[in-house]
Amino acid sequence: MSTTAPGLRAAVRAEWLRLWSVRSTPWALAVAAAWAIGLGLLDATSTVRGWNAMTAADRASFDAVGTSLDGLTIAQLAFAVLGVITATADHTTGTIDAILLAVPRRSHAYIAKVGTLGFVALLTGQGVALAAFLLGQAVLARQHLDVRLSDPSVVRAVTSAGLFLGTIALIGLGLGTLLRRSATALAAVVALVFLAYAVARTLEGWSYLPGKLVLSNAGDVIGQVHAHAARPRLPSLSQAYLDLAGYLIIALSLGAWRTRRDA
Amino acid sequence: MLSLESLTKRYGDTLAVDDLTLTVRPGRVTGLLGANGAGKSTTLRMVLGLTTPTHGRALIDGMPYARLHWPLRRVGALLDAGRVHPGRTAVAHLRWLAAAGGLPSHRAEAVLDQVGLADVAGQRVRSFSLGMRQRLGLAAALLGDPPLLVVDEPLNGLDPEGIRWVRDLLRGMAAQGRTVLLSSHLLTEIALTADHVVVLGAGRLLADDSLEKIRKGHASLEGAYLALTASTTRHRGLGPAGGAR
Repeated sequence: MSTTAPGLRAAVRAEWLRLWSVRSTPWALAVAAAWAIGLGLLDATSTVRGWNAMTAADRASFDAVGTSLDGLTIAQLAFAVLGVITATADHTTGTIDAILLAVPRRSHAYIAKVGTLGFVALLTGQGVALAAFLLGQAVLARQHLDVRLSDPSVVRAVTSAGLFLGTIALIGLGLGTLLRRSATALAAVVALVFLAYAVARTLEGWSYLPGKLVLSNAGDVIGQVHAHAARPRLPSLSQAYLDLAGYLIIALSLGAWRTRRDA
Repeated sequence: MLSLESLTKRYGDTLAVDDLTLTVRPGRVTGLLGANGAGKSTTLRMVLGLTTPTHGRALIDGMPYARLHWPLRRVGALLDAGRVHPGRTAVAHLRWLAAAGGLPSHRAEAVLDQVGLADVAGQRVRSFSLGMRQRLGLAAALLGDPPLLVVDEPLNGLDPEGIRWVRDLLRGMAAQGRTVLLSSHLLTEIALTADHVVVLGAGRLLADDSLEKIRKGHASLEGAYLALTASTTRHRGLGPAGGAR
């Protein structure tokens, strides 16, 4: 038995056990992986089949990395849901009482949750992105359209796509902690991830700025190798990373603010 | 020892707990009585650091709960047995709790054995009856073998053997010199279990005395309780209690 009082390490150990003792965690991650890899394979296959019929312009804008990672658009929803329910389940089931009885320092309880889910989601995100990339390239190789990890910017794009998935899970966790109810938090996260894109498209007649700030556009940009400066409605690469960091910081800060208030 | 000093909680215009000062002493079972909405649960949640008091404080051996270094070894709590994730197994629930409290993980099996749930340790809580959830809640409270036990309505859903078992458990803990605070609606049960009784009405302290003294002059604890709470109960019926304050 240890003699020093339990601190952050004990809280992290508890979060690890909590995360893997409910079925929703492996399920959400498996669903994300299946979508990411499945859709990526389908997209790569349809490109290979239709390549000969494609216009020169379509061929020029083809992004071998982006194509193999197309499934991540759906996978990100599974990551977002994992983040949301990891936070809201504690409130809807009342487990938050037990957590705070064992870890009365609310900042510790929250940091442990963010750290543990962040670790798992970032690692799984990397695995999912890499698997989708490698399998997609294997299909594209049939038409000699594939790229390798050693090609310029490819490692950057693939790891960034994985980073994006992990970040989405943490944004979900922050919003879930803020809103506490699953339905509300899920609606907020879907609006942020999917609907904001449509709104930005509508506003393009007036300004490209909303499009540059939309989370899913940032995710698209960092998960490709093509130069995007030519496309005015998308953020530049560096701005895309800043967007991502901005969303993460805001969501986690809102969650942190709410944890200071009684459950 | 647990002491409340002017403990107060206000929600908007409602005083849920109104300037509560009392000491809960070791070596006996202290029963906490009061009608629905009298402030029992809010008081217990403030004792455990889950609800922040508007004024005053609750101290466990001189320290607020949030500052305890080993909270699970100092205080065992059962608040609402339903507030457990239904998708976790009983043993998984206790294992993460032990980890969070810095306790060895074999304590999970030990307390499951103690409360009679060893055979269903691997079952998800979803399949548990209310009585089994109460036992799991008590297992969680006993995890750190604490000298102070705070239990809110632990008898809900228990069968007669279960009720007898909880009564013996709480009395046994008190006999070992531990402090036991038992909140319940069940007056007959309090009369059988508690040595000392605290009565709340509309958030205020109505009585804080030994069971015998409170019962004196009445046929039963029920009679004494109804006489004590008559004023606050009528107030609640007519309008906001303590409106003259």
